Amino acid sequence: MPLWIQILPGSDEPIYVQVTEQISEAIARGQLASGDKLPAVRKLASELVINPNTVARAYSRLEQAGLVTTKTGSGTFVSDPKMRRSDAADINMLAERMDTLITRGLNLGMGEQDLIRLFESRLTKFSKKSNKRKEEK
Amino acid sequence: MSEIVLETEGLTKYYGDSLAVDHLDLEIPRGCICGFVGRNGAGKTTAIKLMLGLLEPTAGSSRLLGCDSSALTPAIRQRIGYVTEGHRLFRWMSIAGLEKFQRAFFPKQWDDKFFTDMIEYFDLPKKKKIKHLSNGQRAQVSLALALAPNPELLIMDDPTLGLDAAIRRQFLEGMIGLIMREGRTVLFSSHILGDVERVSERIVVIDKGILRAYCSLEQFQEAVKKVIFTFADSVPNEVNIDGLLHCKRIEKQLELTLVGTDDEQIAEWAKSAGAENHTIVKMSLEDQFIEFTAPANQKRLFKWEER
Repeated sequence: MPLWIQILPGSDEPIYVQVTEQISEAIARGQLASGDKLPAVRKLASELVINPNTVARAYSRLEQAGLVTTKTGSGTFVSDPKMRRSDAADINMLAERMDTLITRGLNLGMGEQDLIRLFESRLTKFSKKSNKRKEEK
Repeated sequence: MSEIVLETEGLTKYYGDSLAVDHLDLEIPRGCICGFVGRNGAGKTTAIKLMLGLLEPTAGSSRLLGCDSSALTPAIRQRIGYVTEGHRLFRWMSIAGLEKFQRAFFPKQWDDKFFTDMIEYFDLPKKKKIKHLSNGQRAQVSLALALAPNPELLIMDDPTLGLDAAIRRQFLEGMIGLIMREGRTVLFSSHILGDVERVSERIVVIDKGILRAYCSLEQFQEAVKKVIFTFADSVPNEVNIDGLLHCKRIEKQLELTLVGTDDEQIAEWAKSAGAENHTIVKMSLEDQFIEFTAPANQKRLFKWEER
């Protein structure tokens, strides 16, 4: 599996957050599909030159979020999207984040249609990749 | 909690009238990489030399692998690696000569292949004399010498000072590689917070010889925060909130640097002080360190409770 994770020390995001977010994004974009195995903690730590505990923490965050499951002895795997839980609180939090972005857009002088177009164009970045992956299979 | 491999108790050192290390109490458990940070002259090198028994403490004591630092036996020394500040090696010796010299101190566990592989990886000819090496190459030899005996406890005093990014990365790789082996512990001092952040599980912060923080890196990163409060009319004169480090007033805004104050306490204080709104600003480890060690009125040890 290609190593797409980039660590930026000195950022205001702790390294375990950087790892968590980049893996989450890879799952969202379909670069990692359901059932794919994540690299072993120690292997990824060596490759990224970060503390193994940092990788373990990132994996456990991903597990808490329901994005991966760890099978004892065999590793950590991307979970089935159908099995992921999303409750009202999660959706509510997402809505609040969107509000922040919409506010920024309106402050920049964008109109409603501009925002919708922008949202759609960003969305295709995620769906295209996952479609490509399906075609490859 | 796992076994303690490095322990100091009230460790204190005066140079004449000047206090270099002030009652340092530390307990470093086996199996972690611990970053040791503090500004120039904070007492890091003195503390390290005291731990290794190279300096005599004015008061207090320290123990490495359960043995008092003032009486480290050869058997204990063989289990400890030490990299000096500036990588001082015998200049007249060749790399091969130093290898032989160093190996004699670690008869049981010296790994010939590891040393040779590493020197080859660094593309250094073994015949070359230390005095003909660049600073970076000398540091590479020093790293290989420190890792070849597979030390149980590795102590490095600012090992990456003045080195380029590629060699610094090799040091970090060396530490990560060592820690992957069962039961190895590393303590290293550094001014490069990005390196500390990358590899450390725990950090020790000292300032003017005094221990200011000892906790996991994550706890430190969560604990030190900056909050900006905006007021409708005027900023209150009295700021009474737990964990206050610094306080700055900018017109109708109040900027507080806090340590160990949780978000609920912040929200409560904002309400009681009548703030219109408040924002918690994210900080990099470097900014946190600078704020944390900047002169303040109240200085307290930050020690997060072990969860």
